[in-house]
Amino acid sequence: MFMCKDVVENIMGYIDCELDLQTLKELEKHTGDCPECMAFVNTYKRMLEITGKLKDKPFVTPEIRNRLRILLKSKVKPA
Amino acid sequence: METGFLKKLINIIVTKDNEYISDKSDEELVNLYTEIGDENAFDEIVRRYANKIYGFALRITRNSSDAEEVFQEVFLTLTKKLDTFRGESKFSSWLYRITVNASYMYLRSQKKHESNISLENYYPYDEKGTLMGRVMAKDWSSRPDIIIFSNEALKIIDKSINELPESYRTVFHLRDVEGLLNEEVADILEISIPAVKSRLHRARLFLRDRLSDYFHEWRR
Ligand SMILES: [Zn+2]
Repeated sequence: MFMCKDVVENIMGYIDCELDLQTLKELEKHTGDCPECMAFVNTYKRMLEITGKLKDKPFVTPEIRNRLRILLKSKVKPA
Repeated sequence: METGFLKKLINIIVTKDNEYISDKSDEELVNLYTEIGDENAFDEIVRRYANKIYGFALRITRNSSDAEEVFQEVFLTLTKKLDTFRGESKFSSWLYRITVNASYMYLRSQKKHESNISLENYYPYDEKGTLMGRVMAKDWSSRPDIIIFSNEALKIIDKSINELPESYRTVFHLRDVEGLLNEEVADILEISIPAVKSRLHRARLFLRDRLSDYFHEWRR
């Protein structure tokens, strides 16, 4: 029988559309009947949206970039 | 060889305008730098990858001054080793791998060891395989975007990623933050694709729980 555990352990395949048809059907049937799993799938998807936003976070400040420039200039002899 | 060099040189002179370098692929930039010492090509590589390399080093070391040390080391290594890049993997993968190695080497030299606990037994269901009462009570999926994507929520997820054991953290960062493919992550970290998937899976379960706790607390 398809359990909550099976939803959890197949969630990556579900998100990536990699499940075989049988597993996909069972997962969707279980999730349709089980509000816990529905909440699990929905929060899981929302989480991926949030982590996707971290990509654009600027890391390198002009100061960091400048220190790198100075370092490279001092250490690297032109060929 | 002489004519190849001349051709490249002429090609650069002829096409030299603001666009010529930004249109090049990473691999073309590497060639320009290693074969004729084109400094602009190297600058463009730095421009393309500075953020990614610093961000990844910061993710591994979890400390901004350590990350900057690694960041500088990576680009120094690059000036020395760029001509050893053979194109067997993507240039970006090669660069990420240099970053991983430089980070580990740096942490070792600073004697900053991290106990690498396993998350293999981390799952939200009970011994009977059910989620009963574990998820729905803290369901935050229909919260408005303004809360879900707030700076505070982004900070929480960022902090939570840093709580992951190192081997999960690196996989998660490359896969879900940088958006690389499983195959690329496996190549960079020199682990198998099933290992990438397994670590990513546990990392996501852990982070989903953290976010649930956060949004649940927030409601009060
Ligand atoms: Zn269920």
